[in-house]
Amino acid sequence: MKDAKSTRFPPWLPAALLRNRAILTFMIVVLVWIVAGLAKPGFGSYGHLRYLLELAAVIGLVAIGQTYVVIAGGIDLSVGAIVTVSAVGVPLVALSGDSSGVIAVLFILAAATGIGVLNGLGVAYLRIHPMIMTLAMATFLQGVLILIAGGTAISAQNPLLAWLGNARVIGIPASVILWTLASAMALFVLHATPFGARLFALGANPVASALSGINVRTNTMAVYAVSGLTAGLAGVLVLGMNGQGYVGIGDPYLLASIAAVVLGGTSILGGSGTYAGTIPGAILLVTITALITVVNASAGWRSILFGSLILLLLLLSGRDSQRR
Amino acid sequence: MNEALYWPAQRQRNRGLYGLFAVVLAFVALYAYLFPGLLSVAGVSKFAQSWLPLALVSMAQAILMLTGGISLAIGATVSLGAVIAATTMTGPLGVPGGIVAVAAAGLAIGALCGVIAIRLRLPAIIVTLAASFIIAGAALLILPRPGGAIPGWFSDLLAGNTPAALILLVLVALLWKLYLATPLGLSLYAAGENPVGAYRAGVPVDAARIMAYALSGLLSTLAGLFIAAQTGSGDPVIGQAFTLNSIAAAVLGGVGFLGGRGTMRGAIAGSLLLSVMINVMFFLGFPPVAQYVAQGLIIIGAVALPEISRWRRAV
Repeated sequence: MKDAKSTRFPPWLPAALLRNRAILTFMIVVLVWIVAGLAKPGFGSYGHLRYLLELAAVIGLVAIGQTYVVIAGGIDLSVGAIVTVSAVGVPLVALSGDSSGVIAVLFILAAATGIGVLNGLGVAYLRIHPMIMTLAMATFLQGVLILIAGGTAISAQNPLLAWLGNARVIGIPASVILWTLASAMALFVLHATPFGARLFALGANPVASALSGINVRTNTMAVYAVSGLTAGLAGVLVLGMNGQGYVGIGDPYLLASIAAVVLGGTSILGGSGTYAGTIPGAILLVTITALITVVNASAGWRSILFGSLILLLLLLSGRDSQRR
Repeated sequence: MNEALYWPAQRQRNRGLYGLFAVVLAFVALYAYLFPGLLSVAGVSKFAQSWLPLALVSMAQAILMLTGGISLAIGATVSLGAVIAATTMTGPLGVPGGIVAVAAAGLAIGALCGVIAIRLRLPAIIVTLAASFIIAGAALLILPRPGGAIPGWFSDLLAGNTPAALILLVLVALLWKLYLATPLGLSLYAAGENPVGAYRAGVPVDAARIMAYALSGLLSTLAGLFIAAQTGSGDPVIGQAFTLNSIAAAVLGGVGFLGGRGTMRGAIAGSLLLSVMINVMFFLGFPPVAQYVAQGLIIIGAVALPEISRWRRAV
């Protein structure tokens, strides 16, 4: 018998790096940044890259919940609506005695988590397909939002939001710090806790995981609750960066979050993936959008370019070879 | 085909749809009660005109879902169909040329999506998501803002005081029956239900799936053509709502996401339910916004009903 160590720990190869989807996506981001920075002088400046990261932070936060849900074998199409709920809701619940805005933000985060729990209830107990449940929830929320907020933009002024939107700690935007902390926590929960392990089991084979003693219903509800919470957090951040919330402000984040998850190598069929891939996925999406804006094309061409680039990146990194 | 087995087989397929049919009938009865004018040739024709586009896109989505696929590009494809119709029909191609252009565009786009998703083994949901951006962009290039025109006589023929929409719907349903009798149509369910088993049994799985994408594209652009005829012009973003509504209608109709489960009659009944629901809410004087709320609740209710009744039986 050969040395057991060499079979358990295969020798390090450069090719292994390319097979790791998270690292591959990250390398594509770096490559795009270098090429774009050389071709367009302003692109590589620290200020511009920092701005891209700020934009990516919002997508990245929404994509935390989306990654969890997709790994657990579902999909959440209500994240865009929840971002809007949170961005419009915080100014609406601003209380007179609550000058810092902390209570309003906490209340809205709880509400967003509650919406996620409702999604989970529908999926786990009523056995509604996740796509339909979250879609119906998005439709419902859209109606409620227009009834409550109408078509006008609502601005919010409070110190917490202002800090989130504009503050820099030693040159790093508060939104990026928030995203970094949330990412660290998300990665820890996903890969180092029993809850995270259960998500992978649920996504890979729900029947087997139920038979091996996992409470499918509770865990399904928990995963949608996480998705509601991170979408709510992203909404607060969007409000802080924009200064005002309006109905429809969260819509772009739905497709962006799904695209970030898939570009990061998480299987849309569930059971495998990591948030570590979603992070460069989100940055990549923002970078593509920025590049397309630089090209200065018409709306039609921008849309075509965006779609083609997603397809191209999917071909590079997203081959779903394990499909049945 | 064994004659004696035909009706039992049809009954088997209707099983599980009786609840839906009952709900649809109840809504149609309510609609007829609120709007007695429905019960005439003109009333039915008008209603069929508002229903046809949704019915077509629901069929487009259901074909894909039966093979285990899904499309998030339906709405964009509808828009593209409307835009092509509105720009070609008054041009040198004329109405027949316009119809051919719309149909060819639908088939080509659908087939291309199918080839990319099936041959390159990429997940359909994300391929069609990317495709929706490309198709929507193409629609914006052809017609940057609402405009174009449809010849008046053609609009009157399709969307005037004629039962053309209803006849078209029946025709499409009959063609679907015919397609199911062809080798590729027969392979459709097999490819969705158990692709590996079907492949080993010699079923052309990939061809059946790619054909499903092509037909789905065709139905979507035809829905766009009809909408353009209805409004008399083209609008590059008119189809957006159809993506989600087509999924909702198909799922209401009992078509499963995993392939091989469901029937086209279910999907059509699902689209009928959605359309009647929207009309009834309009007649009851709901503000358009409250319709979103009600629509969300009714979709959840209709899909959850079988599960809730299962609990009842279990208790």
